[in-house]
Amino acid sequence: MASLLQPDRVVYLVRGEKKIRAPLSQLYFCRYCSELRSLECVSHEVDSHYCPSCLENMPSAEAKLKKNRCANCFDCPCCMHTLSTRATNIPAPLPDDPTKTAMKKAYYLACGFCRWTSRDVGMADKSVASGGWQEPENPHTQRINKLIEYYQQLAHREKQDRDRKKMARRRQCMPLAFSQHTIHVVEKYGLGTRLQRQRPGAPISSLSGLSLKEGEEQKDITIEPAPALDEVEPLPEDCYSRPISLPEVTTLRQRLLQPDFQPAGASQLHPRHKHLLMKRSLRCRKCEHNLSKPEFNPTSIKFKIQLVAVSYIPEVRIMSIPNLRNMKESQVLLTLTNPVENITHVTLAPCEDDDPDDINSTAKVVVPGKQLVLAGKDAAAEYDELAEPQDFQDDPDVVAFRKSNKIGFFIKVIPQKEEDADVTVSFKIRHDFRNLAAPVRPSEEGGAAAAPAPAESIWLTHHVELRLGPLAP
Amino acid sequence: MSVKIAAGAVVCVESEIRGDVTIGPRTVVHPKARIIAEAGPIVIGEGNLIEEQALIINGYPENITPESEVEPKTMTIGMNNVFEVGCVSQALKIGDNNVIESKADVGRNVILTSGCIIGAFCQVNTCEVIPENTVIYGSGCMRRVQTERPQPQTLQLDFLMKILPNYHHLKKTVKASHNAS
Repeated sequence: MASLLQPDRVVYLVRGEKKIRAPLSQLYFCRYCSELRSLECVSHEVDSHYCPSCLENMPSAEAKLKKNRCANCFDCPCCMHTLSTRATNIPAPLPDDPTKTAMKKAYYLACGFCRWTSRDVGMADKSVASGGWQEPENPHTQRINKLIEYYQQLAHREKQDRDRKKMARRRQCMPLAFSQHTIHVVEKYGLGTRLQRQRPGAPISSLSGLSLKEGEEQKDITIEPAPALDEVEPLPEDCYSRPISLPEVTTLRQRLLQPDFQPAGASQLHPRHKHLLMKRSLRCRKCEHNLSKPEFNPTSIKFKIQLVAVSYIPEVRIMSIPNLRNMKESQVLLTLTNPVENITHVTLAPCEDDDPDDINSTAKVVVPGKQLVLAGKDAAAEYDELAEPQDFQDDPDVVAFRKSNKIGFFIKVIPQKEEDADVTVSFKIRHDFRNLAAPVRPSEEGGAAAAPAPAESIWLTHHVELRLGPLAP
Repeated sequence: MSVKIAAGAVVCVESEIRGDVTIGPRTVVHPKARIIAEAGPIVIGEGNLIEEQALIINGYPENITPESEVEPKTMTIGMNNVFEVGCVSQALKIGDNNVIESKADVGRNVILTSGCIIGAFCQVNTCEVIPENTVIYGSGCMRRVQTERPQPQTLQLDFLMKILPNYHHLKKTVKASHNAS
């Protein structure tokens, strides 16, 4: 049954700032801390920006300048699909000889999904294939820019005051270098760095990413407050009596995607440049090592660093469930897969009665007490016909089958509650982990010729919860 | 079983045409297209493009064969329409220059005027007249009106009329009788 393989059936507990239960495929494993990490206990950083349709990479500074939009690609204002450029031949008079007409190519934008064209809003066909399309100018741009400059200056002045206070306290640091460094770091990263995060009470901390450079002269910018009007433009006379033509009215989604104009009529919906997407890298908050770092090239989906949990922690999956009846013992078949190449020893243990992690289980579970041995993952095993199968001497009551790096084993489940909800069991899984990434400790004897210490095995314990499904009727 | 195919139409032998069907000139019917006139005749105009696995059926409403004689209604299809791959059309009246995209389903009580585009996989089984130049698209069958009608597929029709006879046998043209029967 494919529903048994759904990812949310088996969840692992992550002990971070918050206790999070997530399937193993969505977790990361920090091999320096030797702990599971979820998306909420890592810091996300922007790696690079790229356009999803033309796959063009864009450096972060340029992306910020262009407001995170691609220069070449457009979005349909009607259905948000990517617009494609189409060409038609129109007869146009030759520049030299107005009497003769020659076929010239005219380009227009069209959407393949909803058949919107740029001619629908009255945009004339352009004679160049790309680069001829302009976005309409926002009438309030000047006022907004002036406001941004004023607040930038305010943030800069506040930061200088803060730095001056810090300089008074620290006497050994070079004051100029310190504030240069903070400005450089703040401007490039904004709220993402550790420096920013450790100051929760800082005023206007969200705007301190827009600070000016040191060398610019500080001219005082004053802004006038927005004037309040007494008289408001009255509604048109036929506002209530004019019948609405629904195809002309824009939907809320179409309207709010263009917050500058928010046009109410479909004939004013102009295409906008496509939003850039970004690749992110993840970093463990405790040890500051990278857990996931994608490649720079937008066309590549591989990772430079990929410390995902499925490649380090054995994975439990449900294979078959018999009919579960209240207060009756049933045998459930689970599989355990070993992702690493060396032999792993796994011990299962039921949760104690007063375990604080055990909040969801609705059934008692009896797990095999013996240690289970998992063979290593051998990539060449399917091609190697002469390999002798390793003899592990499994107890047939416990181990149902064994296949390369996977075993199937039984657990006994006794549902305790007569509810409509799913039967949930939880247990602890303890396995040995060889940390190949641990730094080589300098040996006691010293000397450059000392052999590197063999990777030590440490024992890791995880709390696993399984959702077995409803009781049989 | 009278299928009247005008001269100039290209109808492949692998297509299934049943009942009283009239096909106009310059129409191309691909192999595996099905035109079934069960509950009445079908009249197809000129310049239409009926692609593979398209189903144009003039059937009894909800597959119920009435015991009493119900007057057979004629299904009329105009000019320059495109029935893309896998679509199902039961609309009794279709105008000109419409496009029914792949896997779309048009019910019996819909009347398509001209320039309408029924998007891919959209199911339209309301009881209405679709106004001109309407585009129905998306999973929620959103609608909008476009300013110009879709262009007739003349290039594609010419290409097909040249290439299809090289690879398929064609049904013989049978001239429709001049006296209206």
